[in-house]
Amino acid sequence: MSEAYFPVGPGLGMEENFLSLDDILMSQEKLPGRAESALPRLAVLMGQGASSAESVPEGSKLEIPLWLAKGLHDSKRRIISVELPKIYKEAWRTVFSADANVVDLHKMGPYYYGFGSQLLNFENPENPEIAQTILQATGVAVLPVSDSVCSPQTFVARFRRIMDSSQNAYNEDTSALVARLDELERALFQVGQKGLNDFQCWEKGQASQITASSLVQNYGKRKLTEVDG
Amino acid sequence: MEPAEVEFLAEKELVTIVPNFSLDRIHLIGGDLGPFNPGLPVEVPVWLAINLKQRQKCRLIPPEWMDVGKLEEIRDQERKEDTFTPMPSPYYMELTKLLLNYASDNIPRADEIRTLVKDTWDTRMAKLRLSADSFVRQQEAHAKLDNLTLMEINTAGTFLTQALDHMYKLRTNLQPGEGSHSQEF
Repeated sequence: MSEAYFPVGPGLGMEENFLSLDDILMSQEKLPGRAESALPRLAVLMGQGASSAESVPEGSKLEIPLWLAKGLHDSKRRIISVELPKIYKEAWRTVFSADANVVDLHKMGPYYYGFGSQLLNFENPENPEIAQTILQATGVAVLPVSDSVCSPQTFVARFRRIMDSSQNAYNEDTSALVARLDELERALFQVGQKGLNDFQCWEKGQASQITASSLVQNYGKRKLTEVDG
Repeated sequence: MEPAEVEFLAEKELVTIVPNFSLDRIHLIGGDLGPFNPGLPVEVPVWLAINLKQRQKCRLIPPEWMDVGKLEEIRDQERKEDTFTPMPSPYYMELTKLLLNYASDNIPRADEIRTLVKDTWDTRMAKLRLSADSFVRQQEAHAKLDNLTLMEINTAGTFLTQALDHMYKLRTNLQPGEGSHSQEF
């Protein structure tokens, strides 16, 4: 079944993939921001007023989903300003460069990489550092952007761990392994597991046995009345 | 690609059999085989060898490298070197599995051979993980893996290419001015 199903994957860049379900869920995540000008008749939506006539006053703090923030953000016309969520701020970036492995990216994310990449759209002065940190967390160090000295050992740690745990855990309960991975890493983990499982099945000779398709098995037996109805 | 498909390719390798029937030269797409004479060794593809073996029409002669002494040497060499060493056959894993499963009575010390090949495989896979790790750490964009076999590449390949693809995308995020910006109103 899964071979005939081609879901649109996440974009993971400055632009998300329009039809990717993962990207749609990712862009729902809230972003702290501030209204730079008054927004008439919108107070109800922002949960700040009772009647539909009230406007959001200038300078009020907002929690806006990423897709709305992206639409309203404009470097020239200042409608809203966007702040960095705390996991992309310097304090957390320091944690990542100390040891990326200790961070629970699922709790922080669960779309840590995708959301972080989207944040680069907001022309924040810290953009290079954010992009750098996201990359480091996966395991690649590019150019040292700031003067902060980061040992490449830590960057690689997360990649190494995903690789090792996905390729070594055979016939094991993997829920503990994937609990701290973000969605992107989980997909990667699954790919690694599939490679391992397929190989082990082949080695045991299960690949040559013909089995019923999982689709057929799921149907079960239907009653005659159901078929008629 | 699935392991079964890799095995399909491996079945094109030639092995020597000793048939116990006679048959004229047969003309197949991709090559002529035979003639088959009882007691005379002849080279055939693995798929045919296994089929004949199952019909008890031949005895299989193991490939030259499928020998405990040689495999021990290969395993020790593999453990000593940092890079991948050349394998006796590009399909050593597949051939070992096929021949040992269908013709283990024709292969001397089959169990030891199975263990040795598995050891070599494990060494090479550990090495592959190690080199993937340092590949990523040293920010490389290309690598040369001459002596890796198709089955080994196939087992870790999808994972590795997908991980590198993610990293490439995250890395290009750093280059400003690339890619269009969000819609202007």
